[in-house]
Amino acid sequence: MTTERVSRSALTEVGIGTEAPTSVVLRHVGTRVERMAGNVFILPAVLVVLFLSIFPLFLSLSLSLSRLKFVKGGFEIKFVGLANYHKLLFGSEQNHFLGVLGSPSLLGWLFFLGVMAFLIWRLVRYIRAGSSSVVSLVGRVLTVVLLGSIAWLLAHTLSPEGRPGTVVVTLLYVFIGIAVQYALGLLLAMLTTQRLPARRFFRVVFLLPMMITPVGIAYTFRMMTDTDKGPFQPIWQALGLGLYSWVNDPWGARTAVIISDIWQWTPFMYIVLLAALEGQSVELMEAALVDGANRWQVFWHITLPQILPVSTTLILIRMIEAFKIVDLPNVLTNGGPGTATESMTLHAFIAWRTLDLGGSAAIAYMLLFLVTFLSMSYVNILRRRVVEV
Amino acid sequence: MKVRWFVIFVLLTVLVTLGAPVATVVASGPEKTAPQEKPFEGVEVNVLTFTGPQIAEPLQRRGPDFTKLTGAKINVIVVPFSDLYQKILTDMATGTNSFDAFVFAPQWMVDYIIPGYLEDLTERVQNDKDIQWDDIAPFFRDFSATYAGRIYTIPLDGDFHMVYYRKDLLEKEGMKPPATWDDYLAIAKAFHGKDLNGDGDPDYGSCISKKRGAQAYWFIFSVAGGFIQSLGTSQGAFFDTDTMKPLVDNEAFAAALDIYNETTKYGPPDELNLDVGDTRSLFTSGRCALSMDWGDIGTLAIDPQTSVVQDKVGSVILPGSTKVLDRKTGKLVPCDEKICPYAVDGVNHAPYAAYGGWSGGINAAAEPKVKDAAYAFFSYMAQPAQANVDVTIGKTGFNPYRISQFLNRELWVKAGMSPKAASDYLGAIEDSLNSPNMVLDLRIPQSQRYQQVVLDQAVSQFLSGEITKEQCMKQIYDGWEEITEELGREQQLEAYRGTLGITK
Amino acid sequence: MVIPNPFRRRSPVALSPLEMAISYLILIIWTGVVIFPLYWLLVTSFKLPIDVNMGPFYLPFIDFQPSLHAWDYILVGDLANDTRRNYFNTVVVAPTSASLALLLGTAAAYGLTRFEYRPRLGLILCFLGTLVIVVAAITLGAPWQVAILAGIALFVILVQTVARRFQRSLKNSDIAFWLISQRMLPPVAVVIPIYVLFQRLGLLDTHLALIITYLAVNLPIVVWLMRDYFQSIPLELEECAAIDGASRYRIFWSIVLPLAVPGLVATFLFVLVFAWNEYLLALFLSGAKSQTLPLTVAAQNATRGPQWWYMSVLILIMIVPVIAIAVALERYIARGLLVGAIKG
Repeated sequence: MTTERVSRSALTEVGIGTEAPTSVVLRHVGTRVERMAGNVFILPAVLVVLFLSIFPLFLSLSLSLSRLKFVKGGFEIKFVGLANYHKLLFGSEQNHFLGVLGSPSLLGWLFFLGVMAFLIWRLVRYIRAGSSSVVSLVGRVLTVVLLGSIAWLLAHTLSPEGRPGTVVVTLLYVFIGIAVQYALGLLLAMLTTQRLPARRFFRVVFLLPMMITPVGIAYTFRMMTDTDKGPFQPIWQALGLGLYSWVNDPWGARTAVIISDIWQWTPFMYIVLLAALEGQSVELMEAALVDGANRWQVFWHITLPQILPVSTTLILIRMIEAFKIVDLPNVLTNGGPGTATESMTLHAFIAWRTLDLGGSAAIAYMLLFLVTFLSMSYVNILRRRVVEV
Repeated sequence: MKVRWFVIFVLLTVLVTLGAPVATVVASGPEKTAPQEKPFEGVEVNVLTFTGPQIAEPLQRRGPDFTKLTGAKINVIVVPFSDLYQKILTDMATGTNSFDAFVFAPQWMVDYIIPGYLEDLTERVQNDKDIQWDDIAPFFRDFSATYAGRIYTIPLDGDFHMVYYRKDLLEKEGMKPPATWDDYLAIAKAFHGKDLNGDGDPDYGSCISKKRGAQAYWFIFSVAGGFIQSLGTSQGAFFDTDTMKPLVDNEAFAAALDIYNETTKYGPPDELNLDVGDTRSLFTSGRCALSMDWGDIGTLAIDPQTSVVQDKVGSVILPGSTKVLDRKTGKLVPCDEKICPYAVDGVNHAPYAAYGGWSGGINAAAEPKVKDAAYAFFSYMAQPAQANVDVTIGKTGFNPYRISQFLNRELWVKAGMSPKAASDYLGAIEDSLNSPNMVLDLRIPQSQRYQQVVLDQAVSQFLSGEITKEQCMKQIYDGWEEITEELGREQQLEAYRGTLGITK
Repeated sequence: MVIPNPFRRRSPVALSPLEMAISYLILIIWTGVVIFPLYWLLVTSFKLPIDVNMGPFYLPFIDFQPSLHAWDYILVGDLANDTRRNYFNTVVVAPTSASLALLLGTAAAYGLTRFEYRPRLGLILCFLGTLVIVVAAITLGAPWQVAILAGIALFVILVQTVARRFQRSLKNSDIAFWLISQRMLPPVAVVIPIYVLFQRLGLLDTHLALIITYLAVNLPIVVWLMRDYFQSIPLELEECAAIDGASRYRIFWSIVLPLAVPGLVATFLFVLVFAWNEYLLALFLSGAKSQTLPLTVAAQNATRGPQWWYMSVLILIMIVPVIAIAVALERYIARGLLVGAIKG
């Protein structure tokens, strides 16, 4: 990142060069404190995170490779190798975790082939460019293989005969949810930066959903989605759906979860984008308008590039959080009907609640793997490009 | 470079040191020496249970009385119901032991007993006259509170499934309360789609909570019990007591699945997403002709804050079957005196003590004096003078479990039940409690995995049409076998036999 | 074009009446979407169980007779003690941890955008290895003073012997990614280890345990959000200040931070809200003394199904303070950065 290097060298030179020549001792202390500035800024944060993350990370990794069993006098943790993972991917939990595979519909094939074509095209282009090292080539091939398998899984489990497992359901929640939340958040943020009366009222109101405890939101939406004694019952009846309940239908239930998720998290997108829009340079905009650009051009060429860095961060953070979705499906449907709304975290949570700590940790690690992989690809493909341009 | 790492360690040390003073404060608990007028003067007992008002309320209410009597202070600590099991186990397994006693579902007790976390209460109970142990219904005394012949918990509550029906509707149509599941389906069918509470909207024949991750996996065994178990509690309804093979791949369980699935036809459209809270409110608002539930509907139905069906509710023992499982062949065979010794009018009933009734247990790692005080408190709560009043109060969530609680119906009338409602309600409870063929809930190590994970998921998938009946049975069978293999068949079998009171 | 007052800058584009109408329509629709569930909570909090069960009723006094029974139960009656205590705990824990997270996280974000860190991989691995061994030793029951001293010794030896051979180093973006990756594991996977950790430290059921945990959990978010804000603040200003002899800390404190106020406020709101509402970690790290309010909310679903009326009251009393803070801070978000003015 070029800006950082520039800044550092500039400040280093300037900072040390202008040290006031008071006394030798003081100066010595002063430069030392100054020289340590970088560490003083970052170390407290790194240490706190380290303090609470290293141990849990290793302990849950070792749990995922073992089985907890209660025996006389206490418990025993038995090492079982990859058995917990094997169970998820190939054993008795496969249908639950990955889903039931069916032959994809035409649309499914098109989707899969499209994704593969894009990935392979990128790879070929990269190799042709000639500046490839072995490590990054392996990395890129791995990316193609993994993204390809995810596309394959989506195409097969979302087919008419297939049934999505918790992985696919989670992916659906994450991607549909984030897309809608971002679009809505941006729209609302743009509207509330306009010169509208009562703007401040809207700004506070739009933040409200974020402030409710997630469990509370989940229960609130259980009331909302209840078509028997919930507030939308008359509308439901009027539509002639009295004997149909959407939470009993797999796709209906998933929709209910996604709608609640959108309600809950749009404010997060909204407030960050609002701050970003507030912070953008107005001169550029005005200059463009003076030059006769229309509003769409201003948005596309001026506003969007300015909020892109924040947007990519925002989507990354949201993505990481969204993969952990658990309260909504847990309270709204408990993962039902069948396993239709069960997310990976809920899957892990149910196992955890019944003391299958090994199985639960294995699911959590699969999730960690998936999120790390997806967010690294995201950072490499998108964010780096956006931020450095 | 060196300076930087020095700073790291200094900071790390500071972080750790911050904890030390707090640690010492926590470690040196309150220790007062007081005059010995009262047996437990100065003793504090931390009792963990879930946030009420049910269960926690009577403990909190009677705590001060107990302090006046004995000097022991009772601190009731509550956590959300859904996480109580984990919280208790984590506290004891990590050696934290911040709680001295627990009020929990005895279904979990084997997970606590095998590692040695729960105190054996046998001697204490035997030396305690005031608790009137013989007055407690035999099922709770001999099965619910004991494991392998030793007493570990003090029952405070009686829990089992019953069927509730709308007495007014059935009488008007000249129908009898259901004795078999076929009767149940016939009644449900007859009333489904009719207006049952006079608001003009069509109502439902049968409301059963079938939400996943809630109570659905108990209700399926309430249906299956009558088909599977006929020779008394110790026959067991979940596994073969010789081989630990699951009893779910047979005609009996298939029949139960069919019935369970058919009740959905006569239920609310979102029945698969209803938990007991929802079905109770549906029933008490007059929208269902039939419902299957624990004892709570009985007390909720008489409360004008919650109910429009006061004095219109009857309850009966769980319906049964005229055919039962022949465990050798896996086929259903008609009842006769030999295979259904407890049948009533040819129908084999097997009331299901799902969950088991909240009970008090004591942490084996607590101080001896604290243990004594905790026992004295549970004994106090369970003594008829207190218990027989508490079971009549709806808010307590305590349901009857003592014989004297049936004999003295005045208590119930005093609490607001009409004499007739009291006799209906108590009649069904008495029938169930006196049944020697009660089904004991599964309580082997990690029973939660057998039920909440494998059984619950398969049944839910079956009801929602994700899998067929055959797949469902196979999935439960394979899933249970997998867990049994994982945990060791011998150990699981021994535990299962232990809970059923079978000694070699 | 000169902007007279930098605090009142908005989009320079005036809207036509039609656009205005459409904008309002969208805003009002979304307001409705946001408000309606809250309204429903409000009416539910005044309903008797039977009013909830008998079907949807919308208007108090017209549809149903409102009752204060739920408010009474939560604030005056049986649950009042629990509510008060948990409310107090939440008020102590959430703002403290949010402020600390903001402080440490902002500093780290500033560091990551203005300095170049090249921590060597070998050193890090040695450090991690030592840390794991120390923590494991403490967990297994070794006295912590001994464990830490032994750890320091071990680390010095490792650095002298092994670490010097590895010369690969990490970049700033790697550090940032490592930080955010700490949020990827779902809480269920880390809650038992964290419980054990605090248990060994004797910190269970204290405010401190919750504050430290929420601090660590929220730091990555602060770092990431603030990093982007700092990247958008021009360097010239800081360089000028440096020439004038200001120290780094001073530059950070009196030049950079004021410029980043909107980002700081937005970020603070998040971490405050996350800490205010967190459930699972609070459940395990707290006993009788330090329970927080989300536990009380979740607890209203017990053996008799969700107690909607109680739950509604609790949710409402939980959001009131956060709304107050949001209203108070809203104008700071709206103030905008001074970037444009400075550049001009």
